[in-house]
Amino acid sequence: MLLQYWPKSTNVRFMSFRLPALLFSAILIAASFALIFTKGMNFGIDFAGGSVIEIEQPEGVQEEDVREVMGGLGLGEVGVNAARGTGVEAIEVIVIRFATQPAEPGMDQDTAQQQANDRVRAALNEAFPGLNVRSSAAVGPKVSGELLRSGLMALAVALALMMAYISVRFQWKYALGAVAALFHDVIITMGMFSLTQFEFNLSTIAALLTIVGYSMNDTVIVFDRVREEARKYKKMEPDKVIDLAVNQTLSRTLLTSGTTLLALFSIYLFGGTVLSGMSFALIFGVIIGTYSSVFVASSVLLLLGLDQGEKQRREVEGFQGV
Amino acid sequence: MLNFPAWKVSLILIVLVWGAVMAIPNAFTDGFLGVEPREPQSNAPQDIAAFQDQMDAAEESWWPGFLPTSKVNLGLDLQGGVYLLTQIDPAEVAANRLETLQTDIVQALNRDPLIQRDVPEQQGTTLPIQLRNPEDMDEALRRLRRINPTIGATGSDRVLSIERTGPQRIMVSVSEDAQQALAADAQGTMITIIRRRLDPDGVSEVSITPQGDTRIVIEAPGEADPRRIKNILSQAGRLTFNMANMDQSAVNAAQATRPPPGFELLVDEFGRPMLVNRTPVVTGSDIASASQGRNPDDNSPAVDFRLNGTGAERFGQTTANNRGQIFAIVLDGTVMSAPRINEPIWGGNVQITGQFTLEEAQDLADIIEAGELPAKLNFIEERTVGPGLGADSIAAGTNASLIGLALVGVFMIIAYGLIGSFAVGSLLANIVLILGALSGLGATLTLPGIAGIVLTIGMAVDANVIVFERIREEQRNGRSPTTAVIAGYERALSTILDANITTFIAASILYLLGSGPVKGFAVTLAIGIVTSVFTAFVVTRWFTSMWLRLARPRKLSI
Repeated sequence: MLLQYWPKSTNVRFMSFRLPALLFSAILIAASFALIFTKGMNFGIDFAGGSVIEIEQPEGVQEEDVREVMGGLGLGEVGVNAARGTGVEAIEVIVIRFATQPAEPGMDQDTAQQQANDRVRAALNEAFPGLNVRSSAAVGPKVSGELLRSGLMALAVALALMMAYISVRFQWKYALGAVAALFHDVIITMGMFSLTQFEFNLSTIAALLTIVGYSMNDTVIVFDRVREEARKYKKMEPDKVIDLAVNQTLSRTLLTSGTTLLALFSIYLFGGTVLSGMSFALIFGVIIGTYSSVFVASSVLLLLGLDQGEKQRREVEGFQGV
Repeated sequence: MLNFPAWKVSLILIVLVWGAVMAIPNAFTDGFLGVEPREPQSNAPQDIAAFQDQMDAAEESWWPGFLPTSKVNLGLDLQGGVYLLTQIDPAEVAANRLETLQTDIVQALNRDPLIQRDVPEQQGTTLPIQLRNPEDMDEALRRLRRINPTIGATGSDRVLSIERTGPQRIMVSVSEDAQQALAADAQGTMITIIRRRLDPDGVSEVSITPQGDTRIVIEAPGEADPRRIKNILSQAGRLTFNMANMDQSAVNAAQATRPPPGFELLVDEFGRPMLVNRTPVVTGSDIASASQGRNPDDNSPAVDFRLNGTGAERFGQTTANNRGQIFAIVLDGTVMSAPRINEPIWGGNVQITGQFTLEEAQDLADIIEAGELPAKLNFIEERTVGPGLGADSIAAGTNASLIGLALVGVFMIIAYGLIGSFAVGSLLANIVLILGALSGLGATLTLPGIAGIVLTIGMAVDANVIVFERIREEQRNGRSPTTAVIAGYERALSTILDANITTFIAASILYLLGSGPVKGFAVTLAIGIVTSVFTAFVVTRWFTSMWLRLARPRKLSI
């Protein structure tokens, strides 16, 4: 229907922007690194350890009342904030946070954290009878350290496997271009989390891995076309070949990003607060991933030199006729 | 590519119908399906009433028995519940094991001819033994090595390392390796005991699973407060009867310096200090059963238990020999009560009275009956979701899915018209298949898992879009509709597979390395990738081929 009105063939000279685009990306990456190392990430309790307790706001009870109850427990600094809870109807909640507790005699930090949580619950139940605790979590430093390590490990393994797969299916130059785009996406998304101080937790790692998968998906589709056209037009300038491939896949790239973003925005807006961090990461990642498969992956491929004439090494004409 | 013989069509239909049949129970309540409903979450009247309604509905259900009734498993974040991660300390397991082995060690050294030594004092996982006569050394080592128990199934490794550290000194200890092996052994035992404590009647849905060698995960759906579980499990449940001495001068002397060898200084429920003999008369393994009872004097809650034959015999003999003395009932290093022996207690029926509430007495009875944990459980992670938040998350997730589905569907129809509606049809089939697969595999759906489904909705049309774009191109190059469609599908296949395999790799890693809710995300993402390739490449193609055959269009309007 409407797509009939989309130009039959676009002819945008994407590769003529490759140097400004690479410069732009380099600046973003540098800025992201700077942010990550100076401002740091706002690690949630998954990675930093500590406790979060969310209670339904009892009638007539204010933040100060809760703060007062917490003040008597000797937990160090305790954050008490009113917020809107997840739900179809708006629910007023109060979120209580406190950091990792010091170890006590005969008890390590992890156990001390658990006992602190139990003390808070007991104190809250006593101060506000009939209190509805919506959620509570306490993560000891031992566990949070492991979660962070295994999360970063998962990212590293995913990147390595992607690179291996692409190296088998394409030439190494393509693999390098694709992986450059992946690092680009992951680092800039992390920079965004540092800038906005959105909570960085286990779901964020899940989102980053999904971004890696999505961005790879996009890059593979563009590269598939590049390879096809490069074989077809052996005399054409390399940058023209890439432009042709990107233009041919452009409407697919935009359509798929469009439907994915539609779905993600509906999670971000209607999926409740628990999912908002994850969907924020995914939305940002899909946009940056779409950009990078055109400008970063293809530009790097062009810089490394596109092979058109001679028989390409390791090329597998796989999957046809499956 | 567009040739669908009858067997292919039936195969497609079988898959779709299977998905639908597996998915259908999710649309109905347990009662309607004739399944016994879950226990009510609380004693609130509305929960009880809802439970009763479902029971009644289950009685009248006409749901045929050959159809599946299992629904998607909801994760703790959606149905509410408590998740606890516990850690076993290998050194503590080893120290406890060494303590119980002391009886064997003492017996071995006491055998005729007696080996003279100082009373050994255990320090953590080591037990130094000081011999009186150096010439006993060889015999002592020989006797100790003979009682050294094996670890694990192979029988080649021993619990104790027994070393001569001086002419008269033997060091008995548990090595690092043995500690690890003991902890791994203890893990299985502990899972059994935890289950008996938390679920004495075997009815609750609590799940207790090992993680690594020294950790245990406890998941209790429907539980709103983790403190009860923590309380029941934080006690080792090591119950012993020991002879005690409350003689004032002896206690004073012990308080001034330190208790005599073989004794320890404990305090009873009234705060009275007493010297308790470290070697128990009766231990947890002598207890046959425990139950909640009543104190006959004032009808207050108490714990009754019965000793087994050997335990009752030993206890009767000891009480007969020690008339007028005090014995202490010790639970995890605390004296629960310290009665004076007025007359021998034969028959093995004993009652602990104290300041119990009814629930505390019941829990304590469960703990004693379940047996002693080989070591204390250390809680290191807790995540609790209340039933309110769980229900809200389900509602929000469902809303987001429906809105996402509607937006993507409208978008596809606007963009591609009729052929776009084929894609929407296969998108619906896709969702049914995802739900069917989740139900059929018994996979767990979490809140991030719902996000995974919504993401799949967005990405599932990708394969369709790739094909449609190819068809558009081929048609522009002057091909007829049918050949354009054939060429479109043929040329798009390798691209689609390449693109989806990469996302599948990401999902698999997430599944292998992720935990809890994140794992749920990986599951739906992975299932979604498989079903969306199937629906986009097979189901949409089938729809399109039927349409091409029936309508014979001159031109495709895409």
